[in-house]
Amino acid sequence: MKNFSLMRISIWVYLAIFFAYLLGPLVIMSVTAFNSPSFPRAAPWECLTFEWFSALFQDERILNGIKNSILVGLGTVTLSVAMGLAGALMLTQIWPKLRATYYTIIIAPILVPGVVIGISTLVFWDRVNRMLGLGADSFLSSGLFLTVIGQSTFIASYCMLVLVARLQRYDSALTEAALDLGASHAQTFRKVLLPFMRPAIASAAVLAFLASFENYNTTTFTFGEYPTLTIELAQKVRYGITPAISALAFIIVLLTVFAALFNEAKIRRQELVAAARKTATVEELETGKLRLPGFLSSNTAAVLLVVVAMATIAVVGTATVYSPAQCIADVKETKRLETELRIQQLRERRAQEAAQREAEQGANAPATDTAPKPSNDSGFGNVFNPGTLQDGGTETPEEEPDNSGDSSGSGSIFAPSNLQSN
Amino acid sequence: MPRFLREYFNRNGVGLGSIMLGLVLFWTIGLIILPQLSMLDFSFRPNLPPPEIGGPKDLYTLENYKYLIFGPEGGSQDYNAVDLKVFYRTLIAAVLVTLFNLMLCYPIAYYLAQTNGNHIRILALMLIIPYWINEILRAFALRIIFGESGVLNNLLVGMGVFDTPFDFIRNDIALYAGLGYAYILLMIFPIYNVIESLDRNQIEAARDMGASWTRIHRRVVIPYAKPGISSGCTMVFMLSAGALAAPQILGGPSSLWFTQLIYQQFNDNSDWPQGAAYAVVLLVTCILLVLALMRVFKVNMGDIGK
Repeated sequence: MKNFSLMRISIWVYLAIFFAYLLGPLVIMSVTAFNSPSFPRAAPWECLTFEWFSALFQDERILNGIKNSILVGLGTVTLSVAMGLAGALMLTQIWPKLRATYYTIIIAPILVPGVVIGISTLVFWDRVNRMLGLGADSFLSSGLFLTVIGQSTFIASYCMLVLVARLQRYDSALTEAALDLGASHAQTFRKVLLPFMRPAIASAAVLAFLASFENYNTTTFTFGEYPTLTIELAQKVRYGITPAISALAFIIVLLTVFAALFNEAKIRRQELVAAARKTATVEELETGKLRLPGFLSSNTAAVLLVVVAMATIAVVGTATVYSPAQCIADVKETKRLETELRIQQLRERRAQEAAQREAEQGANAPATDTAPKPSNDSGFGNVFNPGTLQDGGTETPEEEPDNSGDSSGSGSIFAPSNLQSN
Repeated sequence: MPRFLREYFNRNGVGLGSIMLGLVLFWTIGLIILPQLSMLDFSFRPNLPPPEIGGPKDLYTLENYKYLIFGPEGGSQDYNAVDLKVFYRTLIAAVLVTLFNLMLCYPIAYYLAQTNGNHIRILALMLIIPYWINEILRAFALRIIFGESGVLNNLLVGMGVFDTPFDFIRNDIALYAGLGYAYILLMIFPIYNVIESLDRNQIEAARDMGASWTRIHRRVVIPYAKPGISSGCTMVFMLSAGALAAPQILGGPSSLWFTQLIYQQFNDNSDWPQGAAYAVVLLVTCILLVLALMRVFKVNMGDIGK
């Protein structure tokens, strides 16, 4: 038994480590969205701020990227769900001998690196464009068309997999019955097959949109004049990162958590309702007095959903009335004091050093009576003069905050504190 | 009209049947087969300005492939050491990332598949959520953690493990962690799906007969889960070898990923045929490696994607 509980503990520890690896980065990134330094960091914590959210919503390129992403996403969803459905239906009908080959072909795009798909799309449609004798500004070479086509190549495979799973449970006798009763093929498709497939089509569409929204490898070759959100983000992340990106990430994380919890709560609720109906007596069902379980009872996801929603409302409420100006000023003041203290210490140390050296100098060269009071024309006089240093020292703090490119020796000494005050 | 076509139209109706056929043909031929062939063809051509394409100079050549192996003509070295090293390093690193993911995910997949209870659903939800977040943002999150003044460095220096911040990015640790992180789910789900269908009585029978835990896994669970394991490994390997975002964001300044070379050929050097040749090399090598492994472990292509 002891062995068993040890096993249990180690499983929980492993799970904890695993989920820390999985979720930790997202949590830390979300935290950095609320910290005031302009470089995203979670520690040291300075001030709670919401300015990165407003910076995000004022960013033209991000907004434009979102618009393009939605445009591309809609095109990709339409095309890939249609192709995925056709591909799935074809899989159930195709000649058995051809089936393996056909399946390999339509599943291959999932395994082919996105870079390769992007390049082949670009090269192929460029050639088609040239063969048709169209110019460089034709529809076939527009970024929107190429991106939709490139993404659909492999996203259709995902859709196909989702749809095939549902299609396998379809009873083809239903189609035959409809046809026997005089429905046309189009009617049968629309009124029998499509309603059956609807849940799978919905999840395939969501999957396709998400896959399109977050795709980078293919899009980076095809986007042309339609940079999607992912492309814009990649540009930003590669050339300097700001907490505004964390703010965007936080919004996406929050939306995802909402969607996931909502979906989970709905499924659980349906299960509970079904279970309640099953155990109900006939009388209860007939009189309609059946008491269904409350929305929140034994539904963890629903409880979490409500908690997250409350927390969001609280945060947004705080954001509208909260101003971090005071705190930021405080932090600035603290930093200024720190810097000054450091300068002071440095100055004292240097004065000490200078005094020490002077003493050594005096000890080493007792013969020259210029040593205690060096004249300016002596070889080393100026260097060891404490007064010179003192002057340099008093000058520096004034220059220091806004003059990082200072070429003087003392300027570079203060560089670390310089960086910190920014 | 051939018989199978007539049967096909009889079954689906003319209008619907032709829409379906049209879509499938467009997808398989227009989007999958022809572009790949076109890329292959393109990789054998010299890099010409647009007006000269199709002209007398547009002849097939092995120049682009030679470049990968021997470097620029008249170069100082016998081999294109830089690019070949990047290629080799990419493949090795992708294999390592795959193995790391397998070791990390197998226990989790086994636990999720063989345990009952409400908390499993919440755990599954927590697994899926990171996967819905943009790949770029996930890499960005890791960069915040692994950066010079990042959380991890603050922690380690604070605890006194290191005296000075350790450069995770230059040492590629950030890159490997990022690649592993990006594809965890693709490893877990195939294994989970297979193990879930394993009858628990088999495990109990093995335990009753006195088998140890390691033996149960080696002789019962792993052989049964082999299709899932190989499917997960294939996906993770192909995706990490073909990854572009994570190396661009998390890669060190001195170390490149092979896809970054392809990207450079296309976007910085504007040498499309050269880039296409590199892409073909990457694709063919990855496919051959995967096929070889599948042959070794006796798994079919049909098991992938289940």
